[in-house]
Amino acid sequence: MGAPRADLLAVHVASLQHVAAPGAAFTAAQRLRIASVACDAYLTMDPSPPWVRPFGEAALDVAYRLGRHAGTITQQWYEQIITEGMHPLEWVEVVGIVVATVPVVAFARAAGLPLPVLPPPAPGAPHGRVADELAPATLNWVPVAAPADTTASVVQALSAVPDEWDNLWQLAAAQYMSDAQMVDPLWNRGTLSRPQMELAAGRISRIRECFF
Amino acid sequence: MLSWSSTEAGATADLAAIAEGAGDGGLPFGAELVAFADAVGGLDDEVLVFARERLRAAAGEAFLIDAAAVLANFEMMTRVADGTGARFPAETAAHRAALDDRLDIGRFTSAR
Repeated sequence: MGAPRADLLAVHVASLQHVAAPGAAFTAAQRLRIASVACDAYLTMDPSPPWVRPFGEAALDVAYRLGRHAGTITQQWYEQIITEGMHPLEWVEVVGIVVATVPVVAFARAAGLPLPVLPPPAPGAPHGRVADELAPATLNWVPVAAPADTTASVVQALSAVPDEWDNLWQLAAAQYMSDAQMVDPLWNRGTLSRPQMELAAGRISRIRECFF
Repeated sequence: MLSWSSTEAGATADLAAIAEGAGDGGLPFGAELVAFADAVGGLDDEVLVFARERLRAAAGEAFLIDAAAVLANFEMMTRVADGTGARFPAETAAHRAALDDRLDIGRFTSAR
């Protein structure tokens, strides 16, 4: 088969390197464990039911459910995990790690390429870098960078942890399109038309039972 | 979004392709795309190989790669939305009611 676009390969490599670097709250080794759990959950032929917490460790259980049963996550479960002691920004970082990893694996599997191997962990302690000011949101369960609810909920979703937000939108620009390209309904890469892109996007979202 | 972009592009969208995986959405290679999306969303690797090769034969290698990238993107964005409790503003939700009903979105756990 032919090679994928260079920009797509580069952003996927960078995303896995991002996972393997210290984050705001988790070390690189912890982030890689979270990523590994999410990948395994995404790929397993024999998943645990959504309500089972296979690891008894909040970050890993969230990664597992998000990797495999994302459409079953409720606000009640989120609040239960937070009440048990996970910080809301740790939850946001776990989401950021999962969405930095799963699409790379999903692309390789879909395209028939070898599945990626996670890089070794980079040294260093968590850097603690979060948004200067946080705010509760009405359009998301999680806190976001202030001011809240001035952009779409998926846009502000990871804004409390800027490194995760940056990685997400770099992936989106290479896999789908950038914000600038999105405003032109006729923009495309010369392969799929915009309606074909939306057909694929809509069908996989329907299969995943994603309300949004 | 399918309905909106199809209208802008001069094609007529058929939401059955999204809602039931039926037909081609009124688009070139639509049936192959839907079958590929279904296979990526499933766990049967043999079905995925078949769907991938069917799309490649119909639309070409570059089309297949970009389709895989779009699907990967929405494996990502669905998890962003579901993992952060993303919601539409009330005024937007009202406009989406008919589309949500057609896609049977109200029964999704993530809609609660």
